[in-house]
Amino acid sequence: MDDTQARKFQKDLNAGLVSLVLLAVLERSSEDLYGYEIAKRLQKANEGEALFKEGTVYPVLRALAAQGLLTSRVVPSYSGPPRRYYRITEEGRAMLAQWSDIWRQTRGFVDRFIEGQET
Amino acid sequence: MNAPRSIDDYLKQLRAALGGDDPALTQDALYDAEEYLRAEVAAHPDKSESDVLELIASTYGAPEEVAAAYRDTEVKVKAALKSPVARLGAEASPLRRFFGVYLDPRTYSSLFYMLLALATGIVYFTFVVVGLSLSAGFAILIIGIPFFLAFIGIARVIALGEGRLVEAVTGERMPRRPVHPGPPGSWWSRIGEMLKDARTWTTLAYLVVMLPLGIVYFVIAVTGLAVSAAFIGTPLALVAQYFGWLSGDFRAVDIHYGNGSVYAFDHPWLAGALLLVAGIILLTVLLHLARALVRAHARLAKSLLVVPGA
Repeated sequence: MDDTQARKFQKDLNAGLVSLVLLAVLERSSEDLYGYEIAKRLQKANEGEALFKEGTVYPVLRALAAQGLLTSRVVPSYSGPPRRYYRITEEGRAMLAQWSDIWRQTRGFVDRFIEGQET
Repeated sequence: MNAPRSIDDYLKQLRAALGGDDPALTQDALYDAEEYLRAEVAAHPDKSESDVLELIASTYGAPEEVAAAYRDTEVKVKAALKSPVARLGAEASPLRRFFGVYLDPRTYSSLFYMLLALATGIVYFTFVVVGLSLSAGFAILIIGIPFFLAFIGIARVIALGEGRLVEAVTGERMPRRPVHPGPPGSWWSRIGEMLKDARTWTTLAYLVVMLPLGIVYFVIAVTGLAVSAAFIGTPLALVAQYFGWLSGDFRAVDIHYGNGSVYAFDHPWLAGALLLVAGIILLTVLLHLARALVRAHARLAKSLLVVPGA
């Protein structure tokens, strides 16, 4: 299969999933996280080829914060410019629960066809 | 394009990839990338910068990919945060367009900004004048250098804050991140960079001109509001007088006509009605003016505080 087509398919899939994953990461975390830390956690969880590039994390974080799903605060850093730490809001938790349900439904629905074809 | 081999290289390519986009978006994207890249290089002290950069395209993403991600997200956020009040299109009648200004939330925020501009203008102006003169005075002393650095640093924070305010008021996209300070260097080299950076000077210029602009904005807003309130209030005062709620020799307005004076006292209801109409028109014109002025101001702020490619 064409590699660029595979990549485009992955990108289309990611459009909403990156937000979902970021909300989930911040909900699970006991402390506030900043961009680089979040990117590294995602990288660690990846097996083999990364599903999405870490560079896409930052704009999505900012978008989630603009929608009120995350709050952020700036903390000075010893090793460079100040860092922006993110935390999930109550609104964000509610949204995450809703999105997770949608994700489970979608996954079940898609699997029914894909698994069904294979057997 | 070749794969970037250094942080500067990468940022240059990212800037090129974002070429035609909003300069404020570009500044944010460059800040995020520089933060990530410097953290990544610092996290691998055993590897050279070019070795780390070799892997960047597969982790952080190639410059073109990252640029595309910012562009996509920007469009989505803009759609999500769009003001719910539908903009009146060109097909609306001129009368509706003229009075539609009352329904636009930007109108009131613009008016608020004009009133606030006097206060912020005074603060900014004082800050720059005091900072520059103390920097000059301290220049011969050892504390001159850190003082100047702190002065410029605070000026950048003020510029970021002013940008956020302008975006909140007008919706013009302004940076959400400051300019990245770059690699930590000696104080001399950082001062040199700041002095060479055109944005340092345009930022200071903006903070200085905010005082005269603030005075003008404030005067326009206060005079316009006071005069239209007086005009609109006149018929109310006449009604109050008619019912005896307001007593005394109350004369609504003098109208000087030719040699003699015609007193509105003679035709109070006609004068009151005319003033009411004039007041409403004046107020509406003022609101249009406020919106247009602050929108123009946002463009000025963007050209001075956010320099494309800087």
